[in-house]
Amino acid sequence: MTESLNANLLHPQQRVGDNMARWREAGGGDALRIAAQDPPAVLTAIKDADLRGLGGSGFPVWRKWEAVANEAPRPDKYLVCNGNEDEPGTFKDRLLLQETPHQVIEGALLAALATGVNRIVFYINPDLTRALAALQAALGQWQGSDMLQQAGKALGRPITMELKPSSGHYIGGEETAALEWIEGKFPFPRGKPPYPAQDGAHGCPTLINNVETLANVPAIVRHGADWFRRQGIGKATGGKLYSLSGDVLHPGVYELPMGTTLHDLVLVHGGGLLSGKPLKAVFTGGPSNTLLTPADLDVGLDFDSLRERGASLGTGAMIVVSEGTGIVKQVAEYVRFFAHSSCGQCVSCKTGTATLSLLIDRIDTGRGTAADLATLESLYRMLPGSGRCHLVNGVAQLLDSSFRHFRHEYEQALK
Amino acid sequence: MTKKTGDEPTVDLLINGVKVRAEPHMTIVEAAWAGGVPRITGASCLEGVCGSCRILLRRGQEVSVALACETFAEQGVETLFLPPPSAPRHQYELSDFKDGWDIQARFQEIFPEADRCRHCHGCVQSCPKGIAVEDGVALAAAGRFREAGEAFFECVMCELCDSACPEQIAPAHVGLFSRRITAFFHLRPPNLIHRLEELRQEPFSGSNNPAPLPGSDEKESS
Amino acid sequence: MTRGLSLQAALAAYRVDAELAPLPQPLEPDALLNAFHPDHLRDGIATLAVGPNAGARCPRELADLLQAEAYIDEVDLAGVEVTDTDVLVIGGGGAGSAAALAAAERGARVLLATKMRLGDSNTVMAEGGIQAAIEPDDSVQQHLQDTLRAGHHAGNPALVAAMVGDGPGVIRWLIRQGMQFDQTASGDLHTRRAGGISAPRIVHCRDYTGLEMMRALREAVIQHRGIEVWDQAPAVELLSNENGRKCVGAVLGSLDGQKLRIVRARSVILATGGIGRLHLHGFPTSNHLGATGDGLVLAYRIGARLCDLDSFQYHPTGLVNPPYLSGKLVTEGIRAAGALLLNAEGHRFIDELQPRDIVSAAIIRECREGRGIHPDTGGVGVWLDTARLERGQPGLIEQQFPKLLARSRIAGIDPRRDPVLVYPTLHYQNGGAVIDVDGATTVPGLYAAGEVAGGIHGHNRIMGNALLEIISFGRRAGMAAAISSHDRGPKKITLEHVNQARRALTLAGLPLTRRAPQIMPDYTAPGKDFQIAANPRSKS
Ligand SMILES: Cc1cc2nc3c(=O)[nH]c(=O)nc-3n(C[C@H](O)[C@H](O)[C@H](O)COP(=O)(O)OP(=O)(O)OC[C@H]3O[C@@H](n4cnc5c(N)ncnc54)[C@H](O)[C@@H]3O)c2cc1C
Ligand SMILES: Cc1cc2nc3c(=O)[nH]c(=O)nc-3n(C[C@H](O)[C@H](O)[C@H](O)COP(=O)(O)O)c2cc1C
Ligand code: SF4
Ligand code: SF4
Ligand code: SF4
Ligand code: FES
Repeated sequence: MTESLNANLLHPQQRVGDNMARWREAGGGDALRIAAQDPPAVLTAIKDADLRGLGGSGFPVWRKWEAVANEAPRPDKYLVCNGNEDEPGTFKDRLLLQETPHQVIEGALLAALATGVNRIVFYINPDLTRALAALQAALGQWQGSDMLQQAGKALGRPITMELKPSSGHYIGGEETAALEWIEGKFPFPRGKPPYPAQDGAHGCPTLINNVETLANVPAIVRHGADWFRRQGIGKATGGKLYSLSGDVLHPGVYELPMGTTLHDLVLVHGGGLLSGKPLKAVFTGGPSNTLLTPADLDVGLDFDSLRERGASLGTGAMIVVSEGTGIVKQVAEYVRFFAHSSCGQCVSCKTGTATLSLLIDRIDTGRGTAADLATLESLYRMLPGSGRCHLVNGVAQLLDSSFRHFRHEYEQALK
Repeated sequence: MTKKTGDEPTVDLLINGVKVRAEPHMTIVEAAWAGGVPRITGASCLEGVCGSCRILLRRGQEVSVALACETFAEQGVETLFLPPPSAPRHQYELSDFKDGWDIQARFQEIFPEADRCRHCHGCVQSCPKGIAVEDGVALAAAGRFREAGEAFFECVMCELCDSACPEQIAPAHVGLFSRRITAFFHLRPPNLIHRLEELRQEPFSGSNNPAPLPGSDEKESS
Repeated sequence: MTRGLSLQAALAAYRVDAELAPLPQPLEPDALLNAFHPDHLRDGIATLAVGPNAGARCPRELADLLQAEAYIDEVDLAGVEVTDTDVLVIGGGGAGSAAALAAAERGARVLLATKMRLGDSNTVMAEGGIQAAIEPDDSVQQHLQDTLRAGHHAGNPALVAAMVGDGPGVIRWLIRQGMQFDQTASGDLHTRRAGGISAPRIVHCRDYTGLEMMRALREAVIQHRGIEVWDQAPAVELLSNENGRKCVGAVLGSLDGQKLRIVRARSVILATGGIGRLHLHGFPTSNHLGATGDGLVLAYRIGARLCDLDSFQYHPTGLVNPPYLSGKLVTEGIRAAGALLLNAEGHRFIDELQPRDIVSAAIIRECREGRGIHPDTGGVGVWLDTARLERGQPGLIEQQFPKLLARSRIAGIDPRRDPVLVYPTLHYQNGGAVIDVDGATTVPGLYAAGEVAGGIHGHNRIMGNALLEIISFGRRAGMAAAISSHDRGPKKITLEHVNQARRALTLAGLPLTRRAPQIMPDYTAPGKDFQIAANPRSKS
């Protein structure tokens, strides 16, 4: 299911599960050796490569790294590898953890060397049982290994690696919520500032990166920034794991050049839509983002190209909707998910999303009135920016974009 | 019904998506009436006791909830009347309770979420009456129903706390349960009992007195 | 009303410790009422031309509605969804909830339809308490006498006897529904005195009695498996059998433009409450927004007799200031606790514990004769001296009247420091649908309970009897309706009574332009009358 043009992360030689020997045969561990000579060069390479955060933000990775690198340990520095992956339609991190856990671990160690981190926490959704088991087995092989010791030597102090199952709550994937959970508390997102780089886990400077982000680091170190830049299309750099699902013939995870067009992803790699139906829309994200429509088939699926269209790449999840499938039902389902996931700290978010869910469910099931529709619209417009984290904005964005393109479907659903 | 005073500057605000110009001494309900907002169906007592005029209120970046009849028009605020909450999911009838000793066990069956409070404070931030909702829930979960009920004394049934609770504990209903169960099992006033006993022995025979209300002496098992 | 003092001047002149002159010789009560009570105004009164009470006099605002055209006729009912039930309760206040619970206790299938949300009502706003003769120095007989006397002996003694006899049992029933009451240290129910009653008899839950009652009943109704609740479903018309003489259900509309619904029922209980929002004679009101007299209109159109349509209660102490609270109540409990009334000159002018109609008339007299206090936001009033009460009994207001304090806090007033400006406010409909001790109206199949029913309070109601009435007669109506619903159900549902009423209006030369019931006050959506949205048709 992952046939791809330039498989790097998911190259068959990398897909060895927890088998360390086979992974090393394919060059696993080389990057770590290179980095141990000159740890600061890792940061430079990442910067030159223009690696972006692949957990949804698209934020330049080097900026966060630099911020952490500039902090003194207090007494430790943390790296959290974020594998909470729980958004509808996103299923790439679990694949990486399952199929190539050593690559992720090596990436994390490289990040630790580059930023001076001595404590690495793999923060993994416990519902992803196979991913969890693979990572656990892989980590077992690293403990006490010479590679880990060398890394510690290069850093100047021992590096510990710990597997921390997350709470399984979707909101636990938000970076500061992850920190709370790591500190033994309910995963409530924190107010920012302070940012994790200054005041993260247990008050220590903390770097948080997504599984896919870290998995990209070894190849960059090994092949160089230029090589990485060439992997992308146009201005985009590197590759991307797209999670393709919905009414598409061949759903799955596709590792493709960053910037592959929507057309190529859905119609070429995905084999087109089920029963040959025309494309109606694509929920990107996870679905907490702007909808794409057939008019966007030409858009390159990378952070910047999508931003120019007022959309965003998010985690690279693409949920395809064919003509004949109702948008309202699908939006209602996602809104319910987010309403359920809202952690409750911000009244606007919890009450707002719960009310949105109530209204859209009513409309979807044919019980809605014109007044309900008007309330729904006014309500989502009031919410953006009112929460501590991005969740509430995402829901508003999803609704806003579904109204922009499919208002008529809402109107038709009224009783 | 408000009389204009005239000398105050007017304010512009948004109610249910409609631009409204109002006087600052008007409540949001009055401002909606004055501003031609399509009929508000969630307002009744206009004095903050029925809990029906639930609004979401946006000032700058900050969004909160309130009761419209107790909130005044302000320059630049956005308000939205919230639809009534959906029916409660927790079902019980007091007459199902046969014995005061198993209240806590029954409570846990009826409100299984109550001891899963994650202390997000959403309920407390939502309550327009400043009730210590979260503490009330904790008291109820600990079986201290009298104290829990007392915490909810000024509750006006707006159920804003229910909408705010991520664990779906339904704090308002926990509060009402606590109050009701306390009355049901523990309110046994001697003066009332004495008069009821007198009336049982000698029913009231006022002029043309009809039969006493049937059922008022039904057996109860507590 | 031009003389008197401005609010600022009156506040400046007010001294909490001023020596008070003795009460002047009181005016003879009847003379006072005749000259100053709004019921005795000669303007603004109409005589009904059609219907069971033709020839009776009532305020014009009410007459206009009683003699108005219905919203709907048969064509509107074609294809409308029909729901069947044993007992349909219209109105979700205290009376409606008690009726629904009583009917359900008897095994009937109950549908409760209410205008807004279950609990939005006058009941939830009641503050002072509920009467029940439970103290050793009191008796049910005394309760009977007090009620009849305060009502100027216009009440129906059989109904009053039924109600006062139910009193202690009603309190017990309420406790079983989960309602709390204030207790003394020894566990007795705490009782208060009030204007016009001969012994302490008002049991209460601080000054939130109605809220506590409504909370418990609302929860009991929602939780009851035998009761279905339809919120936002105002009754816009009743349904009758072929000859228009029996009530067999109702047509429900909505406030936000949803479709009509028909409910076919074996019995219908009207529990729609009062009329404050008709603002009779232009008075402000203490009532909730839905108190638009719908039940009276529906009952009258189907041929039910009403009584005492010319008698309303103006509660003496409605707030004047701030304007948004104008007409809102300060509970009588505070006068019972010792708060005095003072005019602009700082003098007492009436025994504060006289019955409400007399105290109200006395306040109107002070203001009309130039001894009132005028805030610049409009209106006029006299002082309710809460500050002196607080001075005499520090802490009392906070302990016993938390609602008053909470409300004042929002309005930026402290009743413990300053007196409160008050003026009579339209509070209660003394009359209503004629009922018997089972709550049955003069129309078969139709019951009425609570404020919409009449015959109990005569021409004046004493504090605490309304809450007793709604439970006593709510339960009586509920039980009777449940029993009579063992009849075979209605076959045909028609609007024959509407046709008959229309013919009568035409014969009497009355216009058919006005429609009723009013459902919501005009000012809640200016320029947009209540509409049956599903049937937007213009009628000549
Ligand atoms: C401020 C205030 C204080 C009071 N204090 C006291 C006190 O201390 N002691 C005392 O004994 N009495 C007091 N009263 C009086 C007493 O509260 C009321 O008379 C009593 O509660 C009326 O109860 P009810 O059930 O008949 O009507 P309500 O409680 O008013 O209920 C009527 C219900 O019917 C609904 N309704 C109306 N029209 C329709 C329609 N067309 N279709 C469907 N539903 C409809 C309404 O929305 C409402 O839910 C007070 C009243 C007020 C306003
Ligand atoms: C509600 C919410 C949920 C999130 N869930 C995840 C998640 O499951 N995994 C993840 O890597 N990032 C998640 N993020 C993003 C993280 O906050 C953070 O930006 C990311 O882990 C940083 O890694 P990156 O810079 O490598 O993308 C979530 C963010 C929000 C607001
Ligand atoms: S925005 Fe929502 S999910 Fe995020 S912290 Fe606030 S309540 Fe929690
Ligand atoms: S406790 Fe809940 S229902 Fe009660 S007033 Fe507060 S928010 Fe409203
Ligand atoms: S909203 Fe619910 S979970 Fe949050 S503090 Fe209140 S009761 Fe607890
Ligand atoms: S209208 Fe009753 S609380 Fe606001």
